Amino acid sequence: MKFFKTILLIGAVAAISACSDNKVDKTVDRGFDAKHLSTLKAGIWVDPNGCDHWIIDDGVEGYLSQRLDKYGKPVCSGTAPPGVATGPFKEGSGFKDQI
Amino acid sequence: MADSITRRARAVFFGGGAAVCLAVVSLTQPSFAQTQRTVLGQEYIPTVWVDPDGCEHWVMDDGTEGYMTPHVSRQGIPVCRRGNVCGVMNSDQFFATGRYGINSANRQKLAQFFSDATASAYIITGHTDSRASDSYNMRLSYNRANEVAKVGRSAGARVIDVRGYGERMPRASNATSSGMAQNRRVEIICIR
Repeated sequence: MKFFKTILLIGAVAAISACSDNKVDKTVDRGFDAKHLSTLKAGIWVDPNGCDHWIIDDGVEGYLSQRLDKYGKPVCSGTAPPGVATGPFKEGSGFKDQI
Repeated sequence: MADSITRRARAVFFGGGAAVCLAVVSLTQPSFAQTQRTVLGQEYIPTVWVDPDGCEHWVMDDGTEGYMTPHVSRQGIPVCRRGNVCGVMNSDQFFATGRYGINSANRQKLAQFFSDATASAYIITGHTDSRASDSYNMRLSYNRANEVAKVGRSAGARVIDVRGYGERMPRASNATSSGMAQNRRVEIICIR
């Protein structure tokens, strides 16, 4: 009975912790590189067509979003060759990853 | 006692799990629809990140995942707090009516602008007011933008795109003559 109870409790804890990954406030980064997401530092990644995307390596999170001009067209600045990321995109977080 | 713990644990397991994992979002339809739809989903409220060009992106941090996408209007136009337009050339000053040639004095002024500017690349867009036909305006604005691009290139600037928008992207109302004058322009976008 005691064994059964323990198993049940472990199961309950596992279920709750799996669900608490359901981070409610999506607008902040938690952990020791904690900050509001408006402070992210971006670089430029050039796609195979030669067009720019903002790239952000924020520790365990990564972000990528298109660079558009005021008319909504892709900006293809030629700042780097296709398939290359440049700029300070790894500087936003002190949390270093392996790659 | 043992039983009550088991029961509580079970309650947490089932009740708590369901409550945390799923949130039911009810959407109230506009009154004419007169129906209520229940959507099974989770609330994902983004915040805004402003890129170095001054344009907004939706961003969310979901623990160990991050998501981002440009904030554009329903028409596909990016929402920007500041633009990176670094030069607006008044067409009345640079071109004769219906023409796209630039005289040598203006050519020199323009070349000076490009050699003083510090951008790494340029996008040139031509615009007109709403008089004359749309196709005429599309052609004229493109020809004018191309002339400006030629001067830029000969001054050593890297022009990455040249476009003519004709009367389709007005800056001001075409109902007044001062509005129309503002719409007759060539914009230079600086990419840094």
